[in-house]
Amino acid sequence: MIQNYLILSVILFCIGILGVVSRRNVLIVFMSIELMLNAANLAFIAFSRFHESMDGHVLALMVMAVAAAEAALALAVVILLHKHKGKLDTDVFSLLKG
Amino acid sequence: MEHTVSYLGLIPLFPLLGALILGVMHISTCTGKPFSEKLYGVLGCIGPVISFIYALIVYFQLKGMPADSRFLIHDAFTWFSVGDLHITMGFLADPLSSLMLVFVTFIGSLIHIYSVGYMSGDENFGKFFSYMNLFLGSMLILVLGSGPVVMFVGWEGVGLCSYLLISFYCKDTDNVLAGNKAFIVNRIGDLGFVLGMAFLFWAIGASGFDYLSLRENSHLLTPGIGLVVCLLLFVGACGKSAQIPLYVWLPDAMAGPTPVSALIHAATMVTAGVYMVARFSFIYAHVPVAGAVVAWIGILTALLAAIFGMFQHDIKKILAYSTVSQLGYMFAGVGVAAYSAGIFHVFTHAFFKALLFLGAGSVIYALHHQQNIWKMGGLKEKMPKTYWSMLIGALALAGFPPFSGFFSKDEILFSALASGHTGIWFIGVAVAGITAYYTFRLIFVVFHGQPRDKKAFDHAEDAPAVMTIPLMVLAFGALCAGFLNLPGIFGGNLNVSHWLAPSLVEHHPHTSLTVELLAMALTIAIIVTGIVIAYKKFASGAEEPEYTGFAKFAYNKFYVDELYNTVFVQPYKAIGSVIWKSLEPNVTDIHVKVSSWLYRKAGTGFKIFQVGYVRVYAVYMVIGLSIISLLLSQSLN
Repeated sequence: MIQNYLILSVILFCIGILGVVSRRNVLIVFMSIELMLNAANLAFIAFSRFHESMDGHVLALMVMAVAAAEAALALAVVILLHKHKGKLDTDVFSLLKG
Repeated sequence: MEHTVSYLGLIPLFPLLGALILGVMHISTCTGKPFSEKLYGVLGCIGPVISFIYALIVYFQLKGMPADSRFLIHDAFTWFSVGDLHITMGFLADPLSSLMLVFVTFIGSLIHIYSVGYMSGDENFGKFFSYMNLFLGSMLILVLGSGPVVMFVGWEGVGLCSYLLISFYCKDTDNVLAGNKAFIVNRIGDLGFVLGMAFLFWAIGASGFDYLSLRENSHLLTPGIGLVVCLLLFVGACGKSAQIPLYVWLPDAMAGPTPVSALIHAATMVTAGVYMVARFSFIYAHVPVAGAVVAWIGILTALLAAIFGMFQHDIKKILAYSTVSQLGYMFAGVGVAAYSAGIFHVFTHAFFKALLFLGAGSVIYALHHQQNIWKMGGLKEKMPKTYWSMLIGALALAGFPPFSGFFSKDEILFSALASGHTGIWFIGVAVAGITAYYTFRLIFVVFHGQPRDKKAFDHAEDAPAVMTIPLMVLAFGALCAGFLNLPGIFGGNLNVSHWLAPSLVEHHPHTSLTVELLAMALTIAIIVTGIVIAYKKFASGAEEPEYTGFAKFAYNKFYVDELYNTVFVQPYKAIGSVIWKSLEPNVTDIHVKVSSWLYRKAGTGFKIFQVGYVRVYAVYMVIGLSIISLLLSQSLN
């Protein structure tokens, strides 16, 4: 029943996208990105099972490792942003406005 | 091949390398403490001296060959190749270029040595030697070039160095303007040269564009094209060698340091035009009309410049006009197809005119940059070495036998008479008298009579040995160079003419011995008259004259500069300002303005997408990725 896994994966991914584009708190945006990564992981695992190969597992583990590294970096950025403006609202940081 | 020798390319390379090294040394120290003058002087003189040694080797190697196949070539590399035009960076040494080579490197070396003394204490000592070396290298490329294009490289190189050295004292605006004038007037001439080359290539250049091939194919040239080529090339020669109507830059060029005047504007560069005409003798010989034009312009320039020279106050201006005048003689010589006589006058002139300039430089040096002859006088006892060497130079310039100028000038006049150009001969003889007059006017006013400026006189003395020794060597040359080409009636056999014969296309006209002797006697009589008049007027101390009437007209050079200014310079300036003020902003700049306006408007349009919020950019990304995924899935199906 690979379709069910994939539908769940798509739903998770869309929730992630919605979170990124609609929420303004930096931490929530960050959590939404993690959600999208895990949706992708779920799809990898599902396909791996479907094809009876270990490739998907390897990639999923790799994504987790990268996500962990990214989390460390992103949290450091969040702290700096907070130090800079005293807020975690993404709309405060709009220096690129044309 | 026995005619190929690789060291030919080294001859211009040594001075060019010297220029590079000296230039780098000067630039690297121009803010800090400069290197010592001794180092600069030694490095500056090494290149020319080595080139001189190689020039002698070339000469002796040529001398050892049979007379009808005397030439050496060296093709360094192929420069470029377009269609039928194959240009090789090649060098050719034949009797003509070897003669030029020997005297250019010899006089160049002497003047470099002299400059070590003359320029001492100048803050740009290194720069001066760098430019001088660059000049000598370019001049050697000009002389040795195996074809018109390579010659043109040297031609432009010497033009550049002439400009740089005229404007050498660049803190004074007048000097910079004089440099500009020389450069611009030379560009007019160069246009003629380039057009001449283009016509020549178009007509007969397809099977090789170097002198040897051109000479072989010169019979294919139709008289009409030949005339056009000759006249256009002569325009180039007029620019470089200061003939009517482009002579105006040379007197102004005296703004440069005196060794520059001696080397570039008397002995070597300005004779390049004569060399070019002689080089192309295989074309000029077939077009007598072009030759006549060359000869008449030459002799009229000689007359005009000699008249100007009679009334000048500035010691260097007098010599400058005499240079223009002597160049006129040379063109008269090559114009009447007496190429070897013209080149021989180039050769002797280089000695005596370099000598006179270096002597004048010593006088100027001793009097702390005083150039007005009416502020000098009586210097004979204070500067005996300079006096005696300059006297030899003056006698040679005046053409007094047996000094070198006599033989070369008489050869030209005799050729003009023998080839039936009586008018040219007549003017030439008259100019010889005028030359004698103004030369000895200079000598008598500067060295004889009573000192006019007592204070400067008391401090005057002969220059140091590094300056007087080159003077004496040149004086020896001015005295003896004429004997190299002794004509038949003095028991000689025209050695130089015979040496040059394989490079040139000429035939020696013959007249009776009586006519030759009579003409010679007349010339000598006129010269002696000129000297005697100068002696009567100036030897016992004359005062500065008030010029009126014709003299004033001639002192102001017939107002030719003013005329050119009104007729050419001002209209050009007016056209330039019209273009600058109305044509450029409204016509040529339009497309630049339109495209910048378009970009600015487009930018304003796209600006609204740049809202600055991260989440909006995320939306763009999602949209973009969705479209790409959609397209990908479409293409997979």
